[in-house]
Amino acid sequence: MAKISFHHSDGNVDVLDVDPGTSIMRAAVTNGVAGIVGECGGQAMCATCHVYVRPEYLDGLPEIGDDEEEMLDCTTEERDGERSRLGCQLKAGEAFDNIEVDLPASQI
Amino acid sequence: MTAEALEARPVPTADWVTIPDLHRNPFPIFRKMRDEAPVHWVPAVNRYMVTSYEACHIIENDQEIFSANETNSLMKRAMGHSMLRKDDPEHDVDRKSYGSVLRPKAIKEHWNAIFQANSDKYLARLKAAGPGADLIREYAAPYAAENLRLIMGFHNATQEDMQRWSQTMINGTGNYADDPEVWAASEQSYNEVDDAIDEILPYLRKNPDSSLLSGMTSMPIPLEAIRANMKMTIGGGLNEPRDVLGVAVWALLSNPEQLDRVLADTSLFPAVFEESVRWVAPIGMYPRETTRDTVLEGVQLPKGARLGVVVGAANRDPKIFEDPDSFNIFRAKKPHLAFGGGNHYCAGAWVAKASVAGIALPQLFAELPNLRLDPARPAVDAGWVFRGMTSLPVLWDSK
Repeated sequence: MAKISFHHSDGNVDVLDVDPGTSIMRAAVTNGVAGIVGECGGQAMCATCHVYVRPEYLDGLPEIGDDEEEMLDCTTEERDGERSRLGCQLKAGEAFDNIEVDLPASQI
Repeated sequence: MTAEALEARPVPTADWVTIPDLHRNPFPIFRKMRDEAPVHWVPAVNRYMVTSYEACHIIENDQEIFSANETNSLMKRAMGHSMLRKDDPEHDVDRKSYGSVLRPKAIKEHWNAIFQANSDKYLARLKAAGPGADLIREYAAPYAAENLRLIMGFHNATQEDMQRWSQTMINGTGNYADDPEVWAASEQSYNEVDDAIDEILPYLRKNPDSSLLSGMTSMPIPLEAIRANMKMTIGGGLNEPRDVLGVAVWALLSNPEQLDRVLADTSLFPAVFEESVRWVAPIGMYPRETTRDTVLEGVQLPKGARLGVVVGAANRDPKIFEDPDSFNIFRAKKPHLAFGGGNHYCAGAWVAKASVAGIALPQLFAELPNLRLDPARPAVDAGWVFRGMTSLPVLWDSK
């Protein structure tokens, strides 16, 4: 099991234990974590699973692909040059075993 | 049987629902159904209709239980077996064959200039027709059709061909009455599209461009899948931007306070677009089929149940949207389901936003002074599986 901590903009935190292969977006959508929409189901197509990865977890993340790069320019809340990622592109066991992300105030 | 299934209630029947009533105005019917239960068996439609936001959202995110690969699908007959009726992993292969053609970068680099040229062309046609003209016929329909023709790469067809193909195959997809004349027209378009694809692919191999069909020539995708996906895209890429454009204009002209705010601040056009597709989803219902006995939001469904996912109703669920029947571009932002969700999320969503909210709406209101409805000839909205303006006569001050 891997661990994801979602820090909401109001200060609340949701912590989930997830199976390997589960993306941050999928974990949030299937567990009803508010603040992530994930409209397109993980195709890097909609930019509604935007997260800010906390700096101490940035090492070891996969490179940002072309589709993700394009979508990160379409987010509702401003992109952070270092910390912004799409939750659908970060999977447990591949990108992280334990990760903490801050959620933007809005995804749409 | 699980505890959940034991507690689940049987599906109520809505035998009072009729297709002509749905066609005229589905929203009071959706409201009455949703107030009673999230799912009904509807004999007139020969389907279970799912009308709550929560239940529609659950279906969209679970293709294991709610399959898109429907048995005896009318769409498969009308258009072939496209990605819209496949589940992953088969769906994903087809979806990837669309590459980056419909994504924001390509829109910025290639399509926006083409959309602008097409908007100029058909706005001139609308102006030439003069005040009193039908905005759908003179502008929205040919604009959407010509944009789609070029995005797809049908250099051997006209926008009129695109409109005929789209409408006749959509009529086939909705031919629940099994009308042989509808099938004949649909089949003729089916064959014309296949011929056009066969003719244009060798040309695009020699003369590649940014279009969908050009991209297909270098993708490992069988011709059968290309043909079906192109037909689905003709059906799903023309009427929908046309209809959201028509509904958006009608809604603004019917809400003068909101129109004034938009004219004073054109950065509100994207909000107009989003509220228009929420308020009247151009695709109001699409099918799914259960792969096993299941319980959906407390209601029991058998294996093989044919579902209609009524996103047009979900988008007006009062549990999610306050005062849902009002058109209000300033409402609290909530994700609507008009583009679907999950792996079948509309591939053309960015194209629709760019062409309608980015170009058509601002230009129409900028170039047609005092644009208004024609009091002598009221606009007509109709449909439920597909809904939009069937006619929208408008007036403006011409110099």
